[in-house]
This record gives sequence, C-alpha cells and structure tokens, in this order.
Amino acid sequence: MDDLGAPTLPPDPVVEAYKKDVDRTLFERNLALTPSERIEQLQRFVALLYEMQRARRPRSGGDDRQAD
Amino acid sequence: MIARPTDFRGLIETLSRGGVDFIVIGGVAAAVHGSARATLDLDVVYGRSVENVARLVRALAPLQPYLRGAPPGLPFSFDAATIARGLNFTLDTSLGSLDLLGEVVGGGTYEALLPFTECLDLFGHACRVVTLEKLIGLKRAAGRPRDNDVLAELEALRDRRSES
Repeated sequence: MDDLGAPTLPPDPVVEAYKKDVDRTLFERNLALTPSERIEQLQRFVALLYEMQRARRPRSGGDDRQAD
Repeated sequence: MIARPTDFRGLIETLSRGGVDFIVIGGVAAAVHGSARATLDLDVVYGRSVENVARLVRALAPLQPYLRGAPPGLPFSFDAATIARGLNFTLDTSLGSLDLLGEVVGGGTYEALLPFTECLDLFGHACRVVTLEKLIGLKRAAGRPRDNDVLAELEALRDRRSES
C-alpha cells in the first residue's frame, strides 16, 4: 500500500522490461522543481513544439521552395 | 498538429477560481509527479453534482469550449444540460485542449477517485492531483500498449520515491 491507501500493483513484466530504458537523470532534474514549476516547464516545451510545427508549415499562397 | 499550445496554468487557474471540484489526472498529473514526458492536453475528472456542473459551466463558458475535432457549426452548446446529458468531453478552448471526464477507467467518478488524491499547491491554488500510485493504476487499467513506456517512467519514479 502507498501512504494514501492505494494498493501497490504487482510488477508487470512488460513494463519492467521498458524500465531499463528510462532516463532517470531527466526526472531527477524535475524532482528538484516545485509542482507548479514542473507544469510551467511542460508548458514551455509544448509551446516550443507548437512553434516548431508552425515553422514547418508551408506558407499559404507563397513559394515553398527554400532559397539556396 | 497542435491547434494551439495548451495553457495548463490558465486552465487550472480558471477551474480553481471558479470553485470547481476537479482532479488532475493524465499527463499533467504525471508531470506534477516528476515525469519528463510531454502531453498536449489537460485531463481532469470533475464532480457531477448539479452545483459543480453549474460552477464548471460558469467557469469555462468564457473560454468558448467546443468539441475537439468536430466540424464547425454543430449545434453544441456548453451548458449544464449538455454536461448532464453526456459524461466525458474532449474540448478545445481558447486556452487549449481540455478533457473533462465524468468517469475514468480504473478510477470511476470524482467521489470514487477523491481518496486517491493529494492536495497540492498549483499556482497558488490548492488542487487535487491523483496520487502517483493511482495514476499508475489508471494507466494500467487503460491497457494501451503505447502507455508502456509512460508506465515504466512512472514506476521508476515510484521506485525512486520509495528508495529515498
């Protein structure tokens, strides 16, 4: 049981196999932040993703060929 | 393609200021627990009481919620009657993507999920967030193969927490 009474689930062998590839350094950095800071970091990442997608979108009515 | 980047803070503040009973689940809850994975929407389980649905509608109506992916011009009205008739809604709002869940697989209703939440300070508001252990349970109950790597990270976070 965890501290709030939810039963701890038995290990799933498939998930256990995936766990070998988890980059723990990434969440160690997150754990140093407050919960609000973690959400703000997520928000910055999603905003960056959006800007990158926008940048790749062809401009309507324009010439999409790239300059040399 | 992302229609607009979701303003997680704005949505959480809107719901909190409106006095809405809600529980943060999904990718944002994972981020709160330390996950480094991205998510594009805010998933919340909301209380289905008449009073809470009224608060929900009052809080979100200014954000012009509309069914995500639906063609424009549908006779969709975000009001208490619509919420009462439905259960789960995937919405686009002026602050981005918001999934309103009356029930969640593996967790049930707001009242059923409430004992498996933590009250955390998010942007100055006391917010209910599903516990890491229950979040793992919800992901397992969903049974989606694409969640395996998410589950691996969440369980690694749980292991790390129990070690420390």
